[in-house]
Order: sequence, then structure tokens, then C-alpha cells
Amino acid sequence: MELSAGTGGNGSRKTASERDEVAVLESLQFTDEIRCLMSAPGADNASSFTALLELPATQAVQLIHSPDSAKLIAAPTPAPNVDDFKGSFQFPFNSGLTERAARFSVFAGDGNINSNNKSNSPEPTSYNSSASLQKPVKSEPAETESSQPLVSDPTVENLSIKRKGREKVKGSAKKSKTAAKESSDDAEQLPYVHVRARRGQATDSHSLAERARREKINARMKLLQELVPGCSKISGTALVLDEIINHVQSLQRQVEFLSMRLAAVNPRIDFNLDSIFTAESGSLLDGNFSGMVMPVICPEVQLNGNRQQFPQQLHSDAFQQPVWGREEVCNNYITPENSLLSFVAASLHSNQLKMEL
Amino acid sequence: MDLQTSNPNSLKSRFATRFLRALNQINARKPISSSSSPGEIFQRYRRIKVAADMSMAYSVRSRRTWSRATLWRLRTRSRRRRLASLGRRSSVKTRTTTAASHLAAVVVEKTSHGKENKEDDGGGVGVEAEELRELVPGGESMDLCNLLDETAHYIKCLTTQVQVMRTIANLYSLE
Repeated sequence: MELSAGTGGNGSRKTASERDEVAVLESLQFTDEIRCLMSAPGADNASSFTALLELPATQAVQLIHSPDSAKLIAAPTPAPNVDDFKGSFQFPFNSGLTERAARFSVFAGDGNINSNNKSNSPEPTSYNSSASLQKPVKSEPAETESSQPLVSDPTVENLSIKRKGREKVKGSAKKSKTAAKESSDDAEQLPYVHVRARRGQATDSHSLAERARREKINARMKLLQELVPGCSKISGTALVLDEIINHVQSLQRQVEFLSMRLAAVNPRIDFNLDSIFTAESGSLLDGNFSGMVMPVICPEVQLNGNRQQFPQQLHSDAFQQPVWGREEVCNNYITPENSLLSFVAASLHSNQLKMEL
Repeated sequence: MDLQTSNPNSLKSRFATRFLRALNQINARKPISSSSSPGEIFQRYRRIKVAADMSMAYSVRSRRTWSRATLWRLRTRSRRRRLASLGRRSSVKTRTTTAASHLAAVVVEKTSHGKENKEDDGGGVGVEAEELRELVPGGESMDLCNLLDETAHYIKCLTTQVQVMRTIANLYSLE
């Protein structure tokens, strides 16, 4: 079978050499037609590429070939047996050669074009399989061809920018980039954003990316300005950053001073709590205390090295004890701590009022 | 603004719970007395500061880069200190110590003289961005955009921390 295919292929190659010049010219025209048809339609989605491909393929084929072959191509055919024409066509995926292969089926002038693709005769089989393979094979190089001119073609401005933005953003792991004109906050939730070029601005992909990045940074700077007090009046990125740095440093220093204060001014906590709880309204804490009897045992078991203190503390404040024990296991301890937290919250609230005043 | 009725899972309540717990542990371990030396107080201060940072980072879990960096830093430092106190001189320890000591050196620099060492505005945003990177934990390996994000969250958490700690300090000094 291979020998016969080889001979059939040799015979076909001889005819191919004769028709080479004609075929090359026609193939060039064909690819140009495809390109024109690709770039002409406006806002097409990526999904319509195949539709675009089908259309010029069939159109161009109908223009060049006889109607019989058009019928053949219109009917989708399964991939033929590759071994049959392996000897004849060495580069089945070269677009020029596939065009030439398409023409062979016509120029051979066989009546077998309409016959079944899987006929056993080698020569017509090779031609038929070439014709039938042409369509799925053609679709692949046509697709690759179409994607490239779209990326590099700056003439169709909006479409190319949108597609570039899409492809570029897809390539960058769908990082969100801000829309150009309006506020960017809403746009940041989208997986990718169409960046529209403003009047008088460069439209190449680098400056687009730069602009999107700058706008993201500016949006975040605005948020930071709101966070840091006294920063909204300042204009200029560097000065705002200076203010932010000052603020962060002051906050860190405050944390250190407060921890120093807590280390120094922290005597027996239970005494403090005593005074605190008596000062606080008893109604808030009474309900919590009722559930406190059980977990008095827990801290005794869990705390290490503080047994001496516990009996003393138990005498004075059996209810406050669970607050200071290791509470990972005891669940009931949460309620006294919640009471403490509520008191902390109340005082926080009062602190805030003081600070606001 | 009762913590019980408002969001119990808010950052403030989470941090306050954890920090109080840690504070109790520290106090229970070595209760303060009138005769405690300044060295003891300094030790307590360090422990309390570590507890504050750790509890804040824990409240944020690993959602943020700075909290992850803080947790990692604290863990390495505690590991190194533990190894040093045990007196082991293995090669592993020296490797970790060099990494941890580098981090510790950065921390020490930041706390001691990073404050008055601020340069003037030169070279655009680069200098400030570098400073910000040093301030925010884990900010060395982030681009400016993410750095600003982290800074915003870090400022918010620091403010919460300061609020809670100030309230607790006021409570304890009420006696």
C-alpha cells in the first residue's frame, strides 16, 4: 500500500511541479483573501473565528474550485487515513501546500471527487483525502494566521486595543487593570478590563499597561490618604508617602509605649477587676457569673506553677478566677471574658468620644 | 458599642480576646511586684510586645502578607532564642541564627534609629517606597501596588491594636 501510495504520490508530485507556479500564485491570493476577510469584520468575538474561517474558506474555495469540490468541503468529513498520502504529501500542515492540494483535487479532474473519501484506489484516495483533509487542516493555519495580524495590526484601533488588552491581561493571569476614564473601583472586580486609549495618548501595549498600573496605584494612594489623618490636603505622591510612613512609624511607636506601660503598670489584675466589676453595672455581669461555678476547677488543673496563688485568689474572687486561667478547654470561661470585653468595649467607646472631642 | 452585640468576629474583638489571654499568661507566669527590677520590667515589656504583635497577626491569620511575615519572624526568633538558651551549637542553628539575626537586625534598626533617619524627598517615589517596605513586615518582596494594599490593612490593624492596648492600660491603671 505504501508503494502504491508512493508511486501515486510521485505521479502527483510530477504534476505538482508543473503546476507549481500557478498554484503558488493562487495560494498567495488565497491567503491574502483570508487575511482581508479576517480583519474586515468589526467587533467580532473570539468565538466567531471559526465562523470567519468557515466563511472565507468555503467562499474562496467556491471561487476557485468547481462547485463539486465545494459540496465536498461543505460536508464535514472525518479525518482520512493519513498513511495513504504520507508518501505524497510531506508537509500536510503547510498552508500553501494545502491550497495546492485543494487545487490538485480539481485539476486532477476525476469524477471521484464526489465519491466516498475512503475509496481504496490510491490516487483518487490521495486526492480525495487531501481535499477532505484540507478543510480541518486549513482551519488550523488560518486560525494562527488570523490571530497574528490582529495582534500586530494597529489600524483597527478600538478592536485591536480591546483584543490586545484581553490577550495581554489573559497572559498576565487575569490581573485586573483599571478603566481609563471613570473611577476605577468598580472595574477592578472584573477579570479583565477594557482599557480605552484617550485622545492624544499612545496606544501600544506597553503604555497601556503602564497607564493601567499607574491608575491602580493612584486609586490605592487615595484610599491611603483617607486612612491617614491629615493626608488629604497634601498633593504629590512622594509627600503623601512621607506622611504615610510617618503615620506607620508613630503607630508602631505607640504600640511599644503602650506595651511598656502595660508591663510596668500592671499589678495584680484580679484586684483591678474587683474594682472594675463593682464600678460596672452589676446587671451586665450577674448573668454571666451564674454559669461560672463549674469552671473554677479548670484553671487549677491547667495552670502551671501558680498553685500557691490560686487558693488566695479563690478566697477573694472565685468568679474572676476562670478569666485568668488557661481557657483553651473550658468553654464557660468565655462569658466572663465577654463581660470583660464588654467593659473594654464600653471604655473604648468612651475613649473614642474623648478623642473625638 | 458592645462587643457582645456587635460583630464578635471583628478584628477588634478577635485581637482583644487573644491579647488579653496572652497578657494573662504573662502575668500569671511572673506577677509584677513592687520590687521588680527594671530588667524584669524590660523583659515583661518585650514579652508583652511580642504577645501584642503575635495576637494581632493571629487575628489576621495568613490572609495578608504582613501577618504571615510577622508570624514567621516571631516564630524564627523564638526558635533561635530557645536553641540559644539550650546551648546547642549545631550548624543548623547557626544557619537559622544568621537568617534570624539578619531579620532581628533589621527590626532593631527600624526601632532604634529608623525613625530619625528619614531622607528628604529625592529620586521620586523610590526612596519612600523603600522605607515603606522596611516598615511594613514582609514588604520587601512586593511591587508597589500590593505594598500599598498591605500598608492600608496594616495601618488599620495597628490602629485597632493601639486602641485596645490603650484601653486595657487605662483599665489597669485605674486601680
